[in-house]
Amino acid sequence: MIGVLTWLVGALCLALAGWATWRAVRDRPVILRQLFGAGVIEAVLVVQVVAVAVLLASGEEVSDAVTFWGYLVTVLFVLPAAAATSFVERTRWSSVILALAALTTGFLQYRILVLWLA
Amino acid sequence: MSAPSPRRASQGFGRVVVFVYGLLALAATARALSQIVTRFDEAPLAYSLSLFSGLVYVVATVALARSTGRWRTLAWVAISIELLGVLVVGALSLAVPQDFPDETVWSQFGAGYGYVPLVLPVVGLALLWRTRAVPSH
Repeated sequence: MIGVLTWLVGALCLALAGWATWRAVRDRPVILRQLFGAGVIEAVLVVQVVAVAVLLASGEEVSDAVTFWGYLVTVLFVLPAAAATSFVERTRWSSVILALAALTTGFLQYRILVLWLA
Repeated sequence: MSAPSPRRASQGFGRVVVFVYGLLALAATARALSQIVTRFDEAPLAYSLSLFSGLVYVVATVALARSTGRWRTLAWVAISIELLGVLVVGALSLAVPQDFPDETVWSQFGAGYGYVPLVLPVVGLALLWRTRAVPSH
């Protein structure tokens, strides 16, 4: 379950990062459709948090719970921060920021999966 | 023709620098807090340094984002501390590894964070330097 969700988020993040990089290269700022994409990723991340909470409550265990929850919660802030920035920065640099945010979110999925399987 | 300089250090390309600083501030502070909460006794020096570096990144993020008047001075100070920190701690973590049993942001010159902690202060100082003569209002 958690594995499927982390892979799903990872794939969506790569797609969004590619899209944002493409717009950055063409000197274009972030558009609203990309923020909807980021919103979909955020929704999956919230589902992930709920799924983890349910699994842990029903007997599953994770070895380093503090670090694991630290990743799960901090990753929620990355894409919204990039989205907020894209409203004030209407240049290609907002696309660079969205690409970095998507890559960071995707990379954190890898760390989350490693901790979950540990 | 070279790219026009941003009016303020916190706009255009500078906004990317502020964003990456924010990510590092979040990562370093959150990591330090989890280390201190769960196993401070194992490596008090490393974990205290983690927290200190996290707080310096928080200060640098806010100061760069404001980037006017005294905030710019504060940004200069915070980013200089970072550069010094990553160089000194990076060298110490290789020279006396027994004092650094667990990773800090600055260990091995920031290798655990893709050397971003080593590159970022240089970029930050360059940004402040390039935007130095611009009136800030």
